[in-house]
Amino acid sequence: MLVKLLSSSMKKMWKDYLVLLFGLTISIAIFYMFETLAQNQAFLEANALISSIVFVFHVGTFILALVTIFYIFYATSFILSLRQKELGMYMTLGAKKGKVTQMMFLETLIIGIFSLIIGLVFGVGLSEGIARLLMSRLDFSGEGFEAFYPSSLVTTILFYFVLFLLTAIVNAIRVARKSVLELLHADQKADTKTIKGWKTFLGTLIAIVLITVGYVAMINMGDLAHLGVLIAAATVTPGTYFFFMAMLPFLIKRIKAIRSINEKGLNSFTYAQLNFRVSQLTKVLGTVTMLIALGLGAMTAGLSFYHNTEIHSSLMHGYDIKVHQPTEDELAEMKNWELEERNLYSYRVTDDGVYFSKHDLQANPPVIKEIGGNLEELSKEVRLTDDLTAPVYTDEETDDAESIPEQWQTALRTELMANFYLFGDRTLYILDQEKFEEINASTQTVLIGKVDNFTDYTDTLAKIDERHHQLAIDYTGEDPTMIGSKYESYTSLKSLANGTIFMGLFLGVAFLMMMASVLMFKLLSSATADIERYQMLRKIGVRQAKLKISIYKELFLVFLFPGLIGLVHVLIGMEMFSFILIEPYTKLWIPISLFLVIYGLYYWLTVKMYQRIVLPKD
Amino acid sequence: MTKPVVNVANAQKVFGKKSENQFKALDNVSFTIEEGEFVGIMGPSGAGKTTLLNVVSTLDKATSGKIEIAGQDITDMKQNELADFRSEQLGFIFQDFNLLENLTVYENIALPLSLQGVSSRKIKPLVIEVAEKLGIKSVLQKYPVTISGGQKQRAAAARALVHEPAIILADEPTGALDSKNAHSLMRTMEQLNQFHDVSIMLVTHDPLSASYCERILFIQDGNLYKEIKKTGDKQHFHQQILNVLAELTSIHSL
Repeated sequence: MLVKLLSSSMKKMWKDYLVLLFGLTISIAIFYMFETLAQNQAFLEANALISSIVFVFHVGTFILALVTIFYIFYATSFILSLRQKELGMYMTLGAKKGKVTQMMFLETLIIGIFSLIIGLVFGVGLSEGIARLLMSRLDFSGEGFEAFYPSSLVTTILFYFVLFLLTAIVNAIRVARKSVLELLHADQKADTKTIKGWKTFLGTLIAIVLITVGYVAMINMGDLAHLGVLIAAATVTPGTYFFFMAMLPFLIKRIKAIRSINEKGLNSFTYAQLNFRVSQLTKVLGTVTMLIALGLGAMTAGLSFYHNTEIHSSLMHGYDIKVHQPTEDELAEMKNWELEERNLYSYRVTDDGVYFSKHDLQANPPVIKEIGGNLEELSKEVRLTDDLTAPVYTDEETDDAESIPEQWQTALRTELMANFYLFGDRTLYILDQEKFEEINASTQTVLIGKVDNFTDYTDTLAKIDERHHQLAIDYTGEDPTMIGSKYESYTSLKSLANGTIFMGLFLGVAFLMMMASVLMFKLLSSATADIERYQMLRKIGVRQAKLKISIYKELFLVFLFPGLIGLVHVLIGMEMFSFILIEPYTKLWIPISLFLVIYGLYYWLTVKMYQRIVLPKD
Repeated sequence: MTKPVVNVANAQKVFGKKSENQFKALDNVSFTIEEGEFVGIMGPSGAGKTTLLNVVSTLDKATSGKIEIAGQDITDMKQNELADFRSEQLGFIFQDFNLLENLTVYENIALPLSLQGVSSRKIKPLVIEVAEKLGIKSVLQKYPVTISGGQKQRAAAARALVHEPAIILADEPTGALDSKNAHSLMRTMEQLNQFHDVSIMLVTHDPLSASYCERILFIQDGNLYKEIKKTGDKQHFHQQILNVLAELTSIHSL
């Protein structure tokens, strides 16, 4: 009988249950996705640039678990709110409290297990799909990554099973504690918090202290190392929840207390919407904030590693383009490039020497990079001066000529690429015009230049390097393992960073998806009650346009706070990487504006969808 | 001479598409309500009372015919105009109160004024005045769930009154109240009508509530069946109403 009642009422409210199931499923899928990376130690260690990556992922699991616990408790309390009226009705008809409590327990557990099964299947598919997409985009083989990872599967099942068991018990206890009347009228109860001044003050204080400690830990990550990650995770997460629990109700109350604002148009209703179930809302907003911080943080870090490959490769190379003996085609193409600096130098190659024209070098002295004392300091760019006075310089130990000054050696070897790979063990010379003309070989040129956006030209630079290899074969008889161009160091650094970029983007996508599903769940689960409210407003003569604006405003605030605080977390959090990345804030605007656009779009979509659900149709 | 606040001429409301089985909920109904009148609409279930109220309250559109309220023809107004019209000219009282449970009683009553852009300085005295009139001043800061049914309906009445609409439309306002609260609410409405010249159109099936009206229109199968006016005291009028209702039932049982 119990089962029959259960299943029939579940059928009746299948739409509401679908919303719930959707919310739980996504959470489970994302948790699993995270664990496929977190528990795949071999993959992590083989592919990350961060040495303690496994540890970082452990901390990540901790944060995600914390956020998930908040979310699941909130989501499953939705079952209670759906069902308590009906349970109360059964009790008025004579059902015993024990039976009803048991029903609530079973129902929560069954829904949990059901969503666990779907969530895991979905999670495996999602991991596979997103991983493949990213791998092909990044040219990353991702060996060792497995979308179906048994140990992660087990962890996810255990974690959620315990969680659902707990929530089932909590729901059952809640039912057991309530009287029949409370159950019957539960859906009408407001849960506006009575705010006591000192509580708000204390809560805000705790939030500020926790978040500040976390920020300081993140900024000093270089010194604190593992401890810093732990401190940051253990302070920023609860601090964020405290912030919303203390500040948000207070803020809304404050706005509502200003009569000239509250009593303008529909404002009283709009703010009441936020105020009415404020304790649920604070949990949701705290969760969303943390997910934004994690998601955007992971993405930004990933992209930061990507951009750092460019910076890293510029450490050694003053010039972006270096072309020996450019062909007609190459010259024609480079005409379209926006070169900031473009130098041509003549040289001649014989069987045992490479001779550079001093005249050309003096006319356009090149720059070189000088590495600073410690790694954190960027290398300096130095412009060589015209200090070549002797007629002949060479890099060979000889009494006949001066040896090439060290800086000029660097210039020739690195910037002009007159290196061992290309020319074998030929001796380098710098000759004045007269001596240069005496060398019995045809004059060649090497072109070096700087461009604004190096990565735009990688296709052509790859082809040029191919030709360089051919040239090396011609000069030395063998194909060198490397050639010494900036493009070459860029690609090799990039393949090193790819694993880290992959992880960042993979997790970023996962967390932002969960963020979206949490917000979606919050809205859909409150939609039923809202439909009636908007219906009433229409009856008393509120224009449709005003109702629409009210929804825009309400949701704007729901989206604004987590977005803002999540963003601040990320901005400070990027400081964590300053010990491994040269410039963690390089091109930060790219992931952030990407996020803002997606978030804004999501806001707009949510508003539109919500309007469709709750607004009365004429 | 008084002018009509509601003027319904040959109102028709047909449900169902042309190709399908059509149902005439209202069939050429015509009547007027003068300013300051307290008119009841009665009839058995399914007679078209609620349809009539919906059509007059602009929540639904009549299929044909003309309806004027406070001198304005509402039959060809656009949705937005109708919304504005409702918020300015009409006050609603529903059986299930229709208070917004996430607003305090004060905010609920203030809402129609806020919507018309009345400044918050002017709102407060108006809300307090109407709350005093209806005897709910002490519960203004409470949420609807924490007050009694009678108080809720008074709050709803206060919200309907606060912006001084041309007419109050009440749909079974005593339906969810016990007899004591029902009496008290009807007495209040009677006083509002007598001392403050509020025009009221009351839809009800409760003869006792109806006996507070000055005039009652009976509807039967979408047609105006009969109209009676209060001539003597309430008791007498009550008896008259019961008689008409008895007539209606006997027609039905034939």
